[in-house]
Amino acid sequence: MQNRYSFKRRLPYLLLAPSIIILLALILYPLGFALRNSFWFWNLQTSAVPLYHSGLDNYRMVFQVTPFTEALKNTLLLAGLGTLAQFWLGMGVALLLHTHLRGLGFCRALLIMPTTLAPVVAGFLFRYLLEPKGGLLPWLLEGIGFPLPPQGILGYAGSALFAIGMVDTWQWTPFFAIVLYAGLLSISEEVKEAAQVDGASPWRMFWSITLPLLRPIAAFLVMIRFMQLFNSFDLVFVLTGGGPGASSRTLSFNLYREGLVNYNIGLTAAMTWLVVIIVTVIINLYIIFIFRKREW
Amino acid sequence: MKTLPTRHRIVIYALMALVMIFFIGPILWFILLAFRHPSEAYTIPPQLFFQPTLESFEHTFVDPGNNRPQVFNSVIVSTGATLLSLPFAMSAAYALSRFALRGKDFIMNWYISLLIAPPIVFVIPYFILMSRIGWAGTYQAMILTLQTLAIPFSVWLLKSFMDEVPLDLEEAAWVDGATRWSAFFRIIIPLATPGIIVTSMFTFVFSWNNVLFPLILSKQSTTTLPVGTISFFASSGVYWNQIAATAVVAMLPPMLIFLVLGRYVVRGLTFGAVKG
Repeated sequence: MQNRYSFKRRLPYLLLAPSIIILLALILYPLGFALRNSFWFWNLQTSAVPLYHSGLDNYRMVFQVTPFTEALKNTLLLAGLGTLAQFWLGMGVALLLHTHLRGLGFCRALLIMPTTLAPVVAGFLFRYLLEPKGGLLPWLLEGIGFPLPPQGILGYAGSALFAIGMVDTWQWTPFFAIVLYAGLLSISEEVKEAAQVDGASPWRMFWSITLPLLRPIAAFLVMIRFMQLFNSFDLVFVLTGGGPGASSRTLSFNLYREGLVNYNIGLTAAMTWLVVIIVTVIINLYIIFIFRKREW
Repeated sequence: MKTLPTRHRIVIYALMALVMIFFIGPILWFILLAFRHPSEAYTIPPQLFFQPTLESFEHTFVDPGNNRPQVFNSVIVSTGATLLSLPFAMSAAYALSRFALRGKDFIMNWYISLLIAPPIVFVIPYFILMSRIGWAGTYQAMILTLQTLAIPFSVWLLKSFMDEVPLDLEEAAWVDGATRWSAFFRIIIPLATPGIIVTSMFTFVFSWNNVLFPLILSKQSTTTLPVGTISFFASSGVYWNQIAATAVVAMLPPMLIFLVLGRYVVRGLTFGAVKG
């Protein structure tokens, strides 16, 4: 009996163990690899093994050799503004869908299409549309007299990062719209009717009732999207290659450039740890401030 | 529900038309590109009507058929990643759904932090590890490393489905003398089957659309279809029609799967957190 009892107590942990073990192996290896090599000089083009111990040099060089601070700034800007734009545009579309006019159900089913695309496909799609000579969008924009940089929207330092954010917003606004619409459906009619009886204006109702009730869903969506945008690689790779200069380089793309173009493994390892620390801080802030009271 | 005044309805339909043009229009324009003649990738002014041709598809999938093996590779990698993740995810999701665990919040948070961590951080060391153990460019290298995304995602989504299987049913089976093991296979699995199928479909799509892992861990003969688009973006010139033809074939399976998923789309895209 004693044995059976303790087996029962251990069962859930035994069931969790395989997934946790394989995942730990899959993340501890890279993190350990990066930690060790961050203190070694190692360029894969000149040597198959780390060459010599270099102390904290790699950590210093991250800031001197690569545009790390600019990439961090770009990444935060892209993630912050992108998430903000997607949330509010998505909310707008969700409210349109929520009017339940005839035919909108069909629109909602089609609307998800951009989100189903591989980001690399979305990237090529807009690279084609934004081509300075003959692309559809420059042609339309010039047609209405909108001033465009001669290098093209993707080739101009002032607009390249903005364009990446725009493509991501195009891809993920439907996601916000459809999930927020599902959230709107879950708000009970009674609450809304009670507010209407009390004479609340639609504007007031949105801010005082709808939005607070959507808060748990909204917080979750914003967290997922902020982090996915923070990790942006595919779109940067296809649309701008981080350029011109480093004007649209994100942290992920900076890591890729140093690691798999310049093969500077030691420096990449140091940068990996800086990124891991930044990401851990962000995720924990989220868990502390938003998820603490949530029951899974 | 009150009916809206006509004036409001016209405004709403007009706005919705703009929304649909903005979000669906670019996809249609890109699909048209795949059917254009290579010399007409760009015309000024852009032309909506033209003589369609299958030349680009012939080039990429039939004649030299550069992309034909990539369809096969994509199917192997995505199916492999999905099947490998299922047993790990099913047992973990069952444990999280059915037991009062200490540290359950922590474990759930841990899974999701993996899901939203930057994958590039892991991929560069994998690149070196895989060449060291002789797995560079193999299917198993991609299938194994994709588990960092596939398992956490499937645990979350499957748990939300298992939470919906009433505990009473399982307890009734125990009273009738069934072991936990047989109750799992006779009650939970059949009732959670729709959830398992939905989860598999999402894992398949996410693996299919993933570019970072195959870009870095595959070789030319094992690379996947979305990565195949990049090969037409050469320094010698950009083959737009071929990019579009490859992309059209690459976008079809995810689109079809999402159409089939219907009302589960919201739940899958939010990892089960929003039921929809």
